[in-house]
Amino acid sequence: MQTDGHLTLVELNYLIRQSIQHCFPQSIWVQAETSDVRTASNGHCYLEFIQKDLYTHALLAKAKGIIWSNVFKSLRPYFEKETGETFRSGIKVLVKVRVEFSELYGYSLIVEEIDPTYTIGDMVKRRKEILDRLTKEGVLNLNKELTFPMLPQRIAVISSATAAGYGDFCNQLRQNKRGIVFYTRLFPAIMQGDRIEESIIQALDKIYTCIDQWDVVVIIRGGGATSDLAGFDTYNLATSVAQFPLPIITGIGHERDDTVLDFVAHLRAKTPTAAAEILIHYMNQCAEVLERLTQSIYLLPTRLLQTEKQRIATYTQYIPALVEKRIQTEQHKLQSKEHQLLSLWNSRRVQDSFRIESLLPRIMHAIEKKLNVETHRLALCEQKTRLLSPQHILSKGYSLTLKNGKTLKDSKDLSVGDILVTHLAKGKIESTITQIHKKNES
Amino acid sequence: MKAKSLTYATAIERLESIVEALENNDIDIDALQSKLKEAQTLIKFCKEKLYTADKDIKKLLSTEEE
Repeated sequence: MQTDGHLTLVELNYLIRQSIQHCFPQSIWVQAETSDVRTASNGHCYLEFIQKDLYTHALLAKAKGIIWSNVFKSLRPYFEKETGETFRSGIKVLVKVRVEFSELYGYSLIVEEIDPTYTIGDMVKRRKEILDRLTKEGVLNLNKELTFPMLPQRIAVISSATAAGYGDFCNQLRQNKRGIVFYTRLFPAIMQGDRIEESIIQALDKIYTCIDQWDVVVIIRGGGATSDLAGFDTYNLATSVAQFPLPIITGIGHERDDTVLDFVAHLRAKTPTAAAEILIHYMNQCAEVLERLTQSIYLLPTRLLQTEKQRIATYTQYIPALVEKRIQTEQHKLQSKEHQLLSLWNSRRVQDSFRIESLLPRIMHAIEKKLNVETHRLALCEQKTRLLSPQHILSKGYSLTLKNGKTLKDSKDLSVGDILVTHLAKGKIESTITQIHKKNES
Repeated sequence: MKAKSLTYATAIERLESIVEALENNDIDIDALQSKLKEAQTLIKFCKEKLYTADKDIKKLLSTEEE
């Protein structure tokens, strides 16, 4: 077996395997952090167990781990159900392992069991400590309490320039359906490993120097290994983010359970793409408001003018109708007055004619009476006249003497020789005056 | 110079008040035209803000990006 005092590699590895089997005859419980967890297509899970320095996070120890599929298919659901955490890289675990050594594959830990309470305890403990401290200092919700800008348009992005996350983020923004404009600038930071905290804080400081130019800060990280989430669970980073005067959105690419960074940020997204969607959503809301207002501005005046037009149209119809109605009313009034007058006049006429008719007999009667009186009086006159007529007197023996056709009453108008005509009742005589006797002489 | 001091928020506020006045019939037909003109200016301002890349901002923001 021995050749020139040397061992072949197989021999050496065989000896190592023997010693290890001797040293670790039974399985043992070991605390470690998971890293590079990969599930192969055959269902076996390959990973690294690591241990870091508590303060510097520098890697102190590392071991290859294997969970055979028959174990893994029940171990994983059990672990995830108990912890609420995906079985992934970057978590502290307490596992029962069998230490194995293979001449060909070397040293590895074969996982047989896992104790989830250890993981829960560790996660909760670490985060709780930080959150408690932030609460005590009154900074926990400061970033959340900031007013989110109306237009989150100018975006300071903290990310690694090389990671796919930044590209995804910018693409997503650029391809927004409405064509809204976004302005982005990358503030490069290391998003993996031990320098996450320091690097992000530096980027925040840089943004702070030109803070007026930005509306919002986005901290994003693409996919890749997730074993470094612990870097986002630090007090210094959390307090810087919490107190930053601009709202911060995180999209550091892990599915479950917030890191402290997510907890203090204004908003958390699962991925860079989702972070971009949040910003687009806000801008869309603004665009919708503007569209609604624009529509109203163009629609309402048209409607208003239509209403006015209608009103005028109504007036145009209504006013003549009103006038006509008024005229008709007046006409009716007039007609009714006319009727009234006519009927009044008619009734008056009937009354009058009645009265006239009643007067007529009275008039007739009066006339008749008057006629009788007058007739009688006339008869008397006639009689008187007849008695006084010259003929009647002549017939009584009196005579009438005329000189030159004039009746004689005084003898002084006569002289001797005058010719006189004397009218008798029957015939007349002519005589000549022979002697005149004065009045006193007779 | 007036547009310089105008912000998106105040522009939207102003538009909202105009729309409200229109909805409540608070605007005289005589004032309609001037209000519409004002609204159009505001809409243009807001649209530009949302959809038109401002060269000045772009220049300002990219100064340190090589």
